[in-house]
Amino acid sequence: MVLAQILFNGILLGGLYGLMALGMALVWGVLNIVNLAHGAMIMLGGYIVFCLFQYAHVDPFAALPIAMLVMFGVGFLLQYCLLNLIVRSALLNTLLITFGLDVVITYMAQLIFTADFRAINPPYAGANFSVFGLTVPLIRLAAFLIALVLAGALWALLNLMPLGRAIRATSQNLTAARLYGVDPRSVYAITFGIGAALAGAAGGLYGMISNLTPYIGASLTAKSFVIAIIGGLNNPFNVILGGLVVGIAESLAALYLGPTYTDAISFGLLVLVLVVRPPRSLRAA
Amino acid sequence: MKRLFTALGAAALVASAAPAQADDVVTLGASVQLTGATANTGRYYRDAYQLTIDTINAAGGIKVGSKPYKLALQILDNQSDVNLSVRQYVELITADKVNFLLGPFASNFALNDSSIAEKYQIPMVQGGGASTQIYTRNYKYIFGTLPPADDYYVSTIEMFGKLDPKPQTAALVAADDSFDVSVAAGTRKHLAAAGIKIVVDQTYREGGTDFSSILTQIKAANVDAILWAGHETEALNFIRQMKGLAVSPKDYYGFTVGVPTEDFRHALGKDADYTFGMTSWLPSADLKDRWFGDAADFATAYEKKFSYAPDYHAASGAADVETFAYAIEKAGSLDPKAVRDAIAAISFDSLYAAPTKFGGNGQIVLPQIVIQVQSGALKTIFTDKFIDKPLYPIPAWDKRG
Repeated sequence: MVLAQILFNGILLGGLYGLMALGMALVWGVLNIVNLAHGAMIMLGGYIVFCLFQYAHVDPFAALPIAMLVMFGVGFLLQYCLLNLIVRSALLNTLLITFGLDVVITYMAQLIFTADFRAINPPYAGANFSVFGLTVPLIRLAAFLIALVLAGALWALLNLMPLGRAIRATSQNLTAARLYGVDPRSVYAITFGIGAALAGAAGGLYGMISNLTPYIGASLTAKSFVIAIIGGLNNPFNVILGGLVVGIAESLAALYLGPTYTDAISFGLLVLVLVVRPPRSLRAA
Repeated sequence: MKRLFTALGAAALVASAAPAQADDVVTLGASVQLTGATANTGRYYRDAYQLTIDTINAAGGIKVGSKPYKLALQILDNQSDVNLSVRQYVELITADKVNFLLGPFASNFALNDSSIAEKYQIPMVQGGGASTQIYTRNYKYIFGTLPPADDYYVSTIEMFGKLDPKPQTAALVAADDSFDVSVAAGTRKHLAAAGIKIVVDQTYREGGTDFSSILTQIKAANVDAILWAGHETEALNFIRQMKGLAVSPKDYYGFTVGVPTEDFRHALGKDADYTFGMTSWLPSADLKDRWFGDAADFATAYEKKFSYAPDYHAASGAADVETFAYAIEKAGSLDPKAVRDAIAAISFDSLYAAPTKFGGNGQIVLPQIVIQVQSGALKTIFTDKFIDKPLYPIPAWDKRG
């Protein structure tokens, strides 16, 4: 029973992990930018939902779409005005500038929100129910389902809609896409905006499950990075799957090896995947 | 040419004036977490140091021999990075030439930074690290005003003996950093001595956010009590996940840190109720102080100036500054060795502890006061006797109004 519950915890946690990594994988795959400020954007999304909940008394789940919209705007402007300048330069440059962004966002957040711990704590935050002897925390289940829905929406956008075709075309063959009338500057900005919006949703859910400080970004970036690599950059559902693998592995490691080793396990998985997987699949988007 | 001479003359004047002014100031240096993951606790030290120094200066400063001196604070931000804090203490001593050292927050910082104090033989009085590891290396220049981590749960376990029902089984959960490893090691010993059986004993990585595996094991073991050691942010996660997974120990759950802070109660709201914790200090009017009047006055002045209430971190930091004030006056000199010897022999009443004095290893000995959150307010439950009535056993999550 303990094992079943722990596996179940791992699956629910993994869904949220997957959602965290989704935006990073998209931006990485299409723009070839490893966004080191991704965790900071998750943090910002969390604070947006927190402020809406705390000061405007908006239900946190209703606040999620608002946070996504705001974060889309932030991401769009960042890419359009700043990152487009360096988007085709060496990888090191994009790493440097997103690292700088991470520092700026983090410290601005401390100035605005202080380093106090914040939690998005609606009355139903601790609600749960039992199924076949398993305890199901309501919010974690909701986070898991929202992750699946957003992954599905992203898949549909990329595969069924003209905008998605433009995004994929830009990432596969820039010259050909331009010949067909795609404006890469806008496509890049929209893609980065979608990535930021997904981070915003993940942040709101993270704030309901865990708590927010301006400094959670770095560890979330690292976790998203691992999952994006394990899941690959091709298919949103694979990223969610990558999240599940990490979530389950961490939960089992906590049970059998002790909770000290959870990070060793997720980064160990990363090494394993890099060794076993053909590297070509990493480059494809 | 004339202009050059005027400039040189002015420069010489400035050069000769500067040291004359510096002669009247005793500078205390510290590297504290002003930004980064533990900035919300680091601020207690920055604010307490500053308030205490300002208050001492407003009362005329201190006397070295017969000469009056003002105190000054040189504070650097270590960004919650241990390695940076070690470098900053070297900088404070070698470049800034501060006279004495105040401490950082947290045991792992104090553990490393105290080696710098020892190497340069400049006394450090720190109120942020409780781990006994800091004091077991035969260092001569490190003193601390937080009581030993090993004994944090002593008063709680003593209280268990006087409660009905007395917990028979316990889960012990601790982070893997220097402070919490000390707490866990001590608590295992004290629980065994009290005849309480540890059925779940887990260590988690410092900064961990997911406790669902540990909680599932605790739930399956159906324990009477959960004794927890870690940091505030982890405590918040732990409690929220306890509720989410419907983990209710039969009698008790308590935390080493977090519970006394305002931040903790704000973040959890009603879910903070019933939580037990501990503190080495409460703002009581019984604790008389030479500069502040008493501990209650200190708390009022502190909250007025910084708009948040002080907890034991702040009081401990204030006591560190006062330790230097008393010790320098007693030594009658600014010689580091003389002041170090004065600190080792000192005993004075302060807003933090009466008396404030240090054991042979350099660490203060103070009992932990058991506290509990009741309807959003902090209640003092137990010292060596009951003060307020505990709400015990803690009701299960689904049985609360």
